[in-house]
Amino acid sequence: MTAVTTPAAPTPVEQIDRRNPNDRLRHRILGRNPLGLLFSAPYLVFVVAVFASPVIYAVWIAFHDFFFAAPGADVSYPFVGFANFVYAFSNAQVIQSFGNVGVFLLINVPLTVVLSLLLAAALNRVIHLRVFLRISFYVPYITASVALVGVWLFLFGGDGLVNNLLGPLAPNPSWLVNQSLAMPVIAVYVTWKQLGFYILLYLAALQNVPRELYEQASTDGAGAVRQFWSVTVPGVRPATLLVLLVSTVTGANLFTEPYLLTGGGPNGASNTPVYLMYQLGVEQGLPDVASAIGIVLVIGVLIIAWLQNRFAGGRD
Amino acid sequence: MTIQQAQEAAPAEGARTTSRPAGRRSKGWTRTQSVLRGVVLGIGAVAFLFPFYYMVIGSLQKKPNQTLSGLIPDPSNLTLDNFGAVNSRISLLSGLLNSGLFTGGVLLCTLVFGVLVGYALAVLEWRGRGVTFAIVLLVQVIPFQLLQIPLYVLVARNYGLADNVLGMILPFAINSTAVILFRQYFLQVPRELFEAARIDGARELRLLWSVAIPLVRPALVTGVLLTFIGPWNEFLWPFLITKQADRQPLAVSLANYITSVASSTANPFGAVTAGALVLAVPVVVLFIVFQRYFVSSDLGSGVKG
Amino acid sequence: MHHPRRARSIGAAVVAAALAVGLSACGQGGAANPSLTSKGPITIWYSNNEQEVAWGKQMVAAWNRDHPDEKVTAQEIPAGRTSESVISAAITAGNAPCLVLNTAPFAAGQFEKQGGLVDLSKFPDGNSYIEGRSGDLAKQYRSSVDGDYYQLPWKSNPVVIFYNKKVFAKAGIDTKDPGLGTYAGFLAAARKVVKTGAAKVAIQPAPTSEFFQMDTDFYPLYVAASGGTPLVQDGKATFNDKTGDEVANFWRTLYREGLSSPEQYQGDAFADGYAAMAIVGPWAVSYYKDVDWGAVTVPTPNGTPADEIHTFSDAKNIGMYTACQHKGTAWDVLKFATSEDQDAKFLDTTGQMPIRPDLASTYRDYFAKHPQYELFGSLATRTVEVPAGPNTVQEMQTFRNAWTSSVIFGGKDPAQALDDAAATIDTLEQQP
Repeated sequence: MTAVTTPAAPTPVEQIDRRNPNDRLRHRILGRNPLGLLFSAPYLVFVVAVFASPVIYAVWIAFHDFFFAAPGADVSYPFVGFANFVYAFSNAQVIQSFGNVGVFLLINVPLTVVLSLLLAAALNRVIHLRVFLRISFYVPYITASVALVGVWLFLFGGDGLVNNLLGPLAPNPSWLVNQSLAMPVIAVYVTWKQLGFYILLYLAALQNVPRELYEQASTDGAGAVRQFWSVTVPGVRPATLLVLLVSTVTGANLFTEPYLLTGGGPNGASNTPVYLMYQLGVEQGLPDVASAIGIVLVIGVLIIAWLQNRFAGGRD
Repeated sequence: MTIQQAQEAAPAEGARTTSRPAGRRSKGWTRTQSVLRGVVLGIGAVAFLFPFYYMVIGSLQKKPNQTLSGLIPDPSNLTLDNFGAVNSRISLLSGLLNSGLFTGGVLLCTLVFGVLVGYALAVLEWRGRGVTFAIVLLVQVIPFQLLQIPLYVLVARNYGLADNVLGMILPFAINSTAVILFRQYFLQVPRELFEAARIDGARELRLLWSVAIPLVRPALVTGVLLTFIGPWNEFLWPFLITKQADRQPLAVSLANYITSVASSTANPFGAVTAGALVLAVPVVVLFIVFQRYFVSSDLGSGVKG
Repeated sequence: MHHPRRARSIGAAVVAAALAVGLSACGQGGAANPSLTSKGPITIWYSNNEQEVAWGKQMVAAWNRDHPDEKVTAQEIPAGRTSESVISAAITAGNAPCLVLNTAPFAAGQFEKQGGLVDLSKFPDGNSYIEGRSGDLAKQYRSSVDGDYYQLPWKSNPVVIFYNKKVFAKAGIDTKDPGLGTYAGFLAAARKVVKTGAAKVAIQPAPTSEFFQMDTDFYPLYVAASGGTPLVQDGKATFNDKTGDEVANFWRTLYREGLSSPEQYQGDAFADGYAAMAIVGPWAVSYYKDVDWGAVTVPTPNGTPADEIHTFSDAKNIGMYTACQHKGTAWDVLKFATSEDQDAKFLDTTGQMPIRPDLASTYRDYFAKHPQYELFGSLATRTVEVPAGPNTVQEMQTFRNAWTSSVIFGGKDPAQALDDAAATIDTLEQQP
């Protein structure tokens, strides 16, 4: 990953520093407006308390024989090296759950990129009903998954509307209890639910594609499809990268949907690493194994993000 | 870092001035193409709105009708009892109240501390600014999974905040996306305004309050909307941290209801959709009311950094 | 709720981590052990079902009347996906109540390992009170680690088969003597039910993979067929034998022939008439008021007589938690709540069976007045539990995973699946 560059800072205007040498020294150590540190302090404390310390704690837990104990209980947490990792990944369910997320990402990510770009491009050119369309695309995104899952549960239930619509074509066993359909249904659900957010990203990016490029392409005789491929798609590439990244991270986080729609079933076909972490860590009292899974998952996500950045982010 | 590149590649400057659809180009577009576009968007809108329609219909049905004919409201099969059925098992009111407290706390913290840090990052010059901004960006990219268990131990035990609204708020307290959004807006405020006020002897907080904030009011509204969605819909964390039913936000008690109670009611379909509707309506209404502020370029510049 | 919002800065985190680990280490130090005799006000949790709440309120009121200085504050157990995860979380957070009158035996081993449960055998009259009340039935609730009682065996819900008489009549099955005692008889009846369309399926236990779902399909039948052998005995899994295979094949037949569905039913399958039969405990008597039901013991390969058959207890016990400040009072309340008098009230209010070996004779009047509970009363003396060890939940999950993939979804051969599960459970038994 490339180093983060500081955004173009406002050029310091050398006019306040003339007053006395003490000020100058202070400024050299803390910067021109040390108040900035004070203003940022609550946020930095927040990051340390809520992100930094849990991450280190999680790594520590993963390498020890850790379990939840009552305060004051006489317990020890011996260092166990990679034992928790070995235990986790010699379990077929854990391997399966990673495979399931792979299936999920293979369906969800391309679908998300294609559909959101198409809809954003169409929405960008529409004049009538713009507000209505925008609201209808965003509404699933802003609504709680818990609420929407309730509806999907019945839409895709054995006697649900979808099966009633399909009649004899309905899959048997039905969608959510079908070992090869459960994960795809969840992937489609999540795509549908999140699409509004990505449409929003693409709409923003589309504003920044210079109009001249379209006009130029038009004079060169490029049709709408050619324009889309040769102007729009390259023009929104930074946004595409972001969509790839965010949808991958989101997909790796998958928990609520399998928890509520399928309970990880049938037969583990829609189990995910995070759901397993919940089952192992909270229900079965194995937070150390859960942490080990979490570390592997995060490393996996970071590798995928790096690869995406490398190959899709590319040339600049 | 990717987000940074995105920002450099697509400056947000002038984004809104070009946000009108390009009417001039339309002569290059054939009629077929615009019909096709209409069809795509139409299908999209139906696909997006249908489950909501189904939610409303389902919540009003006396007897669950999951066949095609159930899609059309049947006056003899309408009732509000489903809301009563949910309410008898989970208190909708206290659930909404807890969701409100949770969300309100997050909004307050994000507005106060998020604006402060956003201002510091955009306007002030201090040592550590680059690192701080890097941290804000990193917060965007790293997933939550790894944190849930240690965070539970820390918050429940070391901070003693289990079943406490503060414990619920803590991990969400300052929305980093909103911080980036605020920073972006403050960056667009002309520097001379601040310098002039400083020469007039205005203190930094006063400057922020009476000069900067009035100028970025749209960013605050967008920030509120953006931040609102997170805690209002969040399930996993409050689910872990709250065990007492009267402390749970609606998303959690509704999920408990769906997984364990609904099946024993006479009309589970109606009860689940009724609960879903109560959870969905506040945020949808809020969004529709404020959607004109929620302009794509705002969020775009926000996430692009 | 899905976009990424977390992060850390490794640099800044090191300090914080040291802090966090340090803090938690402090938390573990110096086990405070207030004596077992301290008296004072205490808090208890009881189950959230209506009848138990009614009994609990009555019991607490009776106690508080006579003990103004040792007042009991009671509340329903907080809602959660399972009571066990709620209790485990409370142990970790250090805010568990003194007593939980809903402690699942399978979780007791884990709570014990967490340092959450008080060793009741350390009370001078601990073992004598528990074994005096429950006799030999108590012994299966001892800790597999040190043989002490970390839970008081309280009440059981011996499970039986309920059948819907109306559905059976429609299917042309004798509703007085449906012949469900043997596997062959059960399967014959089940086929009739489905073939005639009297109900969609014959019996519908939850086909999902939560560890505790074994309680409603495999375990009751296994306990009955094996003459009362628990899942694990002397540190070894027991079910990888002919009896276990027979039970697995019996259920596999039901699923394969569509007599049970691998799809979870949204709603109550038995109440809705979707399933003709259900595996239930005595709670079902009041729960299925609107169904005209008959009750028989669970099937065994050869039809074990009802007065010899063992069944799964589905017990809930009382645990005393280490966070309790006044353990002396808690112990007195525990004994008060399980006295012969309170047990009578409990039986009368809830229909659940106090774990007492002489149930039928002690409460002769009750069973005379409520004949529909008689079968449960007689079974209550021959109940079998899942033994409580530190890894019981993991073991049950291991079993359940093997079961769902093999028996419910027709994967691996059941005998092979049970062998594999048994091997894993054997290794889990060796771990502390």
